[in-house]
Amino acid sequence: MKLFDVVVKDTLSRRRRVLYTAFGVAIGVAAVVAVLTVARSGEQRIYSEIDKYGPNMMVMPAINDVDLRLGDLRLGSLAVGDNYIPEDKFPEIRRITDGAIREALGIQDGADIAIIAPKLYIDTTVNGTSVMVVGFDPEEERAIKSWWNLSTGRYPEQPDEALLGAKANSALGVDPGSRIALNGREVTIVGVLEETGSQDDYQVFAPLETVQLAFGKLGLISSMDIRALCSACPVETIADAINSTVPGVRAVAVSQIAHTEMHLVKKVNRFMLALAGITLVVGAFGVVNAMMSSVYERTKDIGIMKAVGASRSQILRAFIYEAVAVGLVGGIIGYGAGVLLSYALGPLIFDGLTVKYAPQYLLPALGLAVLMAVVASVYPAFRAQQIRVADSLRSL
Amino acid sequence: MLEIKKVMKIYGEGTAQVVALKDVTLRAADGDFLAITGPSGSGKSTLLNIIGGLERVTSGEVILDGGRIDNLSENGLVEIRRRKISYVFQQYHLIPSLNALENVLLPLTFSRAGKSDEKRAADMLRRVGLERRFKHKPAQLSGGEQQRVAIARALVNGCSLILADEPTGNVDQKTGREILALFQQANADGHTIIMVTHSPEIARRAKRIVAMRDGEIVNESEQESCEKR
Repeated sequence: MKLFDVVVKDTLSRRRRVLYTAFGVAIGVAAVVAVLTVARSGEQRIYSEIDKYGPNMMVMPAINDVDLRLGDLRLGSLAVGDNYIPEDKFPEIRRITDGAIREALGIQDGADIAIIAPKLYIDTTVNGTSVMVVGFDPEEERAIKSWWNLSTGRYPEQPDEALLGAKANSALGVDPGSRIALNGREVTIVGVLEETGSQDDYQVFAPLETVQLAFGKLGLISSMDIRALCSACPVETIADAINSTVPGVRAVAVSQIAHTEMHLVKKVNRFMLALAGITLVVGAFGVVNAMMSSVYERTKDIGIMKAVGASRSQILRAFIYEAVAVGLVGGIIGYGAGVLLSYALGPLIFDGLTVKYAPQYLLPALGLAVLMAVVASVYPAFRAQQIRVADSLRSL
Repeated sequence: MLEIKKVMKIYGEGTAQVVALKDVTLRAADGDFLAITGPSGSGKSTLLNIIGGLERVTSGEVILDGGRIDNLSENGLVEIRRRKISYVFQQYHLIPSLNALENVLLPLTFSRAGKSDEKRAADMLRRVGLERRFKHKPAQLSGGEQQRVAIARALVNGCSLILADEPTGNVDQKTGREILALFQQANADGHTIIMVTHSPEIARRAKRIVAMRDGEIVNESEQESCEKR
């Protein structure tokens, strides 16, 4: 028989008391687990919203305003630069973007990572109506614009097929199957988009090369939408890298709104975590209280143990063992309660949030519970080891 | 060999002072069996507490096997309790959550925790006649049986000096005689026994009777050894 066995037997014989003490631990742990789980789900929702948000970076032609001077005389400013980006910048931009993502995520393989959708915008007239024709890469564009849906038809697959925005469709009065001329080059309408509420509604989409050929802009594009596939990708860093290495283009990160929203969520989370921390401390005082009364309750037993040869450190150890047991029981109860609580709290804090179970908090929760119980038991255990045999047994 | 030299014990301070022991000097040779008798408040329990290191002397010395134990540190006292002095209490003082065998094992758990311990503890329980009560918890045992467990616990560490405070005070006369027989057997095996009792019948079975009153020893009498009776 070891000291540990003695503690186990003793603990089992006082199940109700141990459970009561463990309850103090459980309350604190439940609060922390619930907050962490809700916070995590909240952040994940923001991330998925950001993902739906579309591109998180745009690359445009660089246009500089240059001051014109003659001596000290200022003559005004002049926009310098092209309105197009040569397509041959494309590989370099991809290399920088994918490289940065690889570095951020620790990926090794050489396949393309980011979605890069090049576009060529041309203002033109179709059937006497002024429209914006967009040369695009159907696959990449659809990958970025995950909210796109077709009201009729299909997406373009051949070079001579085109897609209409909802408003362009009604303005031009053409249906899928009919043909329109883009600067003399005929394409067939194969599909119409559902209304998106964006400028896409007013545009005519045709494969990039078709538009380039039709308007004599071979090898040129107006802009690129870039979407890194990860929510945590260093978009600003990528934009900076592109700006400093690729001449003639300007990269802009468009994640500002997302960041603001995330900042708010983080603030709410910190506040909730602080509340959970207070709960933890209050729970710890409950544990101290319960352990203290457990010491008083067992003053006699402690006296007996000392009388038969227990040292102070053995008494201390016995209480620490008990604290670990209390911590584990409280941790398990608290973790379970915390998970359930998160399902109830999540939708209240972030409206309609569906909380996702996060198993990775189990071990830290148990660790926290044990730590809390042990810390809360230090003072009671110290009091226990100071009990004098003569006082505790009165009559010898 | 236990020697108590001019031990004083004063509780409280100033006008609230109570002198529990006045200049008590006593000697117990190895293998002795002392019965300390006296009315309540005569200081007999205080004397036993001081011998066992549960209370400190105000002045004087307690010497066990040539070494002073009245001034030992807490850890020193732990060593004494593990190797030299064990107790038997009037209220038995068993741990309620442990069964008879585990209660007997307890001193060994604290002092060494070896593997052969269980056999030794079982032997002790057989020696006090409890071979069929190993797995019983204290609450399932009679007073006499609990006291037997307590005696087995006192013997298991092989301590030479056993201090007993009214060990028969809570049991009927017949059981009291059985308990006393166990002490006599332990004494015959070489253990020194110092027993506080107010039962003249029990005291008469000891080798020596030390009578106390008002914190002083008023009479010491040798008796014919028990074996001769």
